[in-house]
Amino acid sequence: MNLTGLDADILLPGFLAGLIVLATHVPLGREVLKRGIIFIDLAIAQVAGIGVIAAGAAGLDPHGFGTQIAAVAAALIAGLFLTWTERHFEPVQEAIIGCLFILAATAGLIMLANDPHGGEALRDLLVGQILWVGYAQLLPALAIAIVVLLIWVPARRRLGRGVFYVLFAFSVTTSVQLVGIYLVFASLILPALATRRLSFGPALVAAYAGGAAGYALGLALSALLDLPSGAVVVWALAGVALLISLLSRRLA
Amino acid sequence: MNQAKLFLAVCLLCATTSGVARSEDRVDVFACEPEWAALAEEIGGDRVEVFAATTGQQDVHYIQARPSLIARYRQAELVICTGADLEAGWLPLLARQAGNRRVAPGQPGLLLAAEVVPMLEVPVSVDRAGGDIHPYGNPHIQLDPHNIARVAKVLAMRLIEIDAASRAHYQSRLQDFETRWETAVTGWEARGAALSGMGIVVHHRSWVYLEQWLGLDELGSLEPKPGIDPSASYLAELLAGLEGEDLQLIIRSAYQSDRASKWLASRAGVPAVVVPQTVGAVPGADDLFSWFDTILDRLGASGR
Repeated sequence: MNLTGLDADILLPGFLAGLIVLATHVPLGREVLKRGIIFIDLAIAQVAGIGVIAAGAAGLDPHGFGTQIAAVAAALIAGLFLTWTERHFEPVQEAIIGCLFILAATAGLIMLANDPHGGEALRDLLVGQILWVGYAQLLPALAIAIVVLLIWVPARRRLGRGVFYVLFAFSVTTSVQLVGIYLVFASLILPALATRRLSFGPALVAAYAGGAAGYALGLALSALLDLPSGAVVVWALAGVALLISLLSRRLA
Repeated sequence: MNQAKLFLAVCLLCATTSGVARSEDRVDVFACEPEWAALAEEIGGDRVEVFAATTGQQDVHYIQARPSLIARYRQAELVICTGADLEAGWLPLLARQAGNRRVAPGQPGLLLAAEVVPMLEVPVSVDRAGGDIHPYGNPHIQLDPHNIARVAKVLAMRLIEIDAASRAHYQSRLQDFETRWETAVTGWEARGAALSGMGIVVHHRSWVYLEQWLGLDELGSLEPKPGIDPSASYLAELLAGLEGEDLQLIIRSAYQSDRASKWLASRAGVPAVVVPQTVGAVPGADDLFSWFDTILDRLGASGR
């Protein structure tokens, strides 16, 4: 037991980052689950990483705005590519996403052979650590999350596939930098999985509440046990999701 | 009886947690690496409360964020780290999150060891195209015991600045440490004399200070660039380059995978060993003295 880290001041920015990530990932995760394209977030994040490496090769500052643009642009191209493949090769869409993931990951390794600085930037992008989040990073992420939600939630049935992939590319690129790829995957899939039996409205409420509880519990546990926060939050989210899943089955 | 036991347990719990929470009259020291934590213990003794952010098993370039790191940094009165961008991946973020003015740059509370020792491999011009060049030079300074002595002096001065009431305590501990360290260094240098000119291949280019101190001859490195896996042609080139050279040992740090060095060891027919890059990296290297003892043992220096 260790009470030194149990300080709202230390844990609050991470918790807020978690809420922002959940805000978009809960509704998008439901769609991802429905379409059966679970690994799309890994693929999009890796392609965004290619953008970062390319920006590094072009001599852009790895922490600057230009690198962000490059990451989002690469993710958008991947989103548009996946829209196209879904239209033409729908039965094998998940396999195509898997292939995109390994190709992007290994393309990164090949490009990095001559640029170790790109490696640092790539690590920053994919392994964002929730405790290092500062308030200054939260504002742009919040702005993007609000725009994504305003577009997606009211009009999700009328919007085409292209819009989904574009919004998804934006959300994943920003959230991966805040909390890292493991937490993005967990926030996307676990709440959606736990509430899949419920209809859209109730599912959203249960998933948001469960997700927030998971982040709070995980951060507190990581402080008490002095363990890496991101990893503990993933397990807390899984625990809460299991509980919600059992409860919703009883209700249904 | 049971109630008494419960009461005792609660008291114990309170006592331990309050002990962790804050040390009233000791100087709180936050050390980024185990070698600086060990040095702070040597100089500070019972007047300091030392927290080490990393262990000897970790790659200090990258660490996972834990809440206790921020909490300890926040309450620290002295932060001692290597600097020179070794901790560039996490120290600036940690400092920002903790917001501790006592250890801000320019304050006596922040001691960056690389700023008080002569640096090796400082580039003449910083050119990003040249790969991973540290603008401040090679940061792995702890592997020359003379650097440890240099840092010890500055550390004692900083402790006196922060805790003037214990000036005599720190001065006498520094003197005592310096005497023992000088004797030990003389012993290591006598043992290490036989190693001068020995050809080695390193995993990562983190041994230049040790090489300079003992006169080792670095014939190549398994990583073409820090953190980058070698390509097939790079390894072929490395092997070809070793032809006719007097390679005797392949060395790596405790946290590095043994695959690359075993690959080379089997082809070049020389042993691959783990050399402790810091205190606690391998069993037996438990303090500053036994750490350098172990380094010389593992390099094959005879006598003790």
